[in-house]
Amino acid sequence: MNIIGPDYLVFGVDDIAACSEYLTAFGLKPVDVTDKGGLFETLDGTGILIRHKADPSLPPPLPTSNMLRQQVYGVRAAEDLDAIEAELSSDRRVTRLSDGSIEVKDDHGFELKFQVTIRRELSMPAEKINAPGAPAQRKPNEIGVWEEMPALPRSLSHVVLFVPDIDIATGFYCDRLGFVITDILSGAGPFLRPKANDDHHTLFFIRTPDYMKGCEHLAFHMGGPTELMVAGTRFVKKGYQSFWGPGRHKFGSNWFWYFNSPLGCHFEYDADMDKHDDTWVARETPMGAESSQIVLFEMREKWAPSGGPPPGAKG
Amino acid sequence: MSRHWNPETPRPQNTLLCHIDEVKEGDAKGVGPVGGLKRKIILIKRNGVLHAWLDACPHYSTGTPMSWKADAYFNGDKSHLACHSHGALFDIETGECVLGPCLGQRLTPVEFTVSDGGEIFIASPAEEEKP
Ligand code: FES
Ligand SMILES: [Fe+2]
Repeated sequence: MNIIGPDYLVFGVDDIAACSEYLTAFGLKPVDVTDKGGLFETLDGTGILIRHKADPSLPPPLPTSNMLRQQVYGVRAAEDLDAIEAELSSDRRVTRLSDGSIEVKDDHGFELKFQVTIRRELSMPAEKINAPGAPAQRKPNEIGVWEEMPALPRSLSHVVLFVPDIDIATGFYCDRLGFVITDILSGAGPFLRPKANDDHHTLFFIRTPDYMKGCEHLAFHMGGPTELMVAGTRFVKKGYQSFWGPGRHKFGSNWFWYFNSPLGCHFEYDADMDKHDDTWVARETPMGAESSQIVLFEMREKWAPSGGPPPGAKG
Repeated sequence: MSRHWNPETPRPQNTLLCHIDEVKEGDAKGVGPVGGLKRKIILIKRNGVLHAWLDACPHYSTGTPMSWKADAYFNGDKSHLACHSHGALFDIETGECVLGPCLGQRLTPVEFTVSDGGEIFIASPAEEEKP
């Protein structure tokens, strides 16, 4: 089962115009978007699909107020869809759609879809840095930052779910779909990566009461920490609301910056996440402020120390 | 809730928030943070009545900011104040959370006064009013 990760996340929202404005300002590209919603994509084609909550084409809502309607996973090939269908049809209904994709519910009732991935292969450099003792990554005269530098989400990275039962959630994704636990924040939950993706996590669970079941946040990979901070700074300048960050997580080592959204969950820019293979042994540590981040900053308005007041001046 | 400042009594905490005309009927406006508060104050005018709540969702003890964009504090149909972190909905008049993770908890009210000239002042430090 070569599951790569989320291709799309589907939301049923109550304000299409507000969500369209938000997703575009966040850096996603509207594709065939009308007043009925549509797809907002990253550079590799993954992204967010919104429709009005009353749109009958949407999968049914969760029993909570959460707006997440479906997680669409990309797999490598048609054989992987067959393998998933064979595995899951033993104890639940699996619906085959005309395009070959399959729809199914997980053990908590989250709607899932599996399709041959739509993601386009990206060929772009990561952020380059120079440091004494290491070969220079930027050539002479190649500058690191400039005012209009691009800082757009490259790919849908991960989704974080509020679930009432961690064992049920990990049982389904690990035992049935071949996800691997990379690390565990006890008291919150485990980080998971699917077999065909070496990112530290594409999925993370947080244990919450039943009435909160839903999506806590979703995240997009940026080209590096500088792009993350540039994109976040531009977003704040446009009036959008920072929730947490910028900072850098410990587990996964990814830089993060979370924002509120009109989709009822947080949107995160992330950058420079660890990669793992099957030799990795999962770490476990209690969830807390120290364990969840190595550094945390809060944005402030720009200022600059200049020469200071002339000698003898007051203040 | 709306009280006029009586010039006979000393102003308790005369931090100016804004002029009442800056809050349009049916709208919400986030002002501040002012006077050493960590969070903004949400001013809402409904049916001519002004309401003021601290922009701090009670879901987490630190109280996190609730809008998704400057002044965007309502849910889609504008029936409630919403926290755009996890979608909690709050009654505009009572501040009570009616749906979401902080069900039954309340927003922190901000006491205010309105001068005869229509200037809105904080009447007391809002953070001391947390239960
Ligand atoms: S922080 Fe407001 S609902 Fe969670
Ligand atoms: Fe994240």
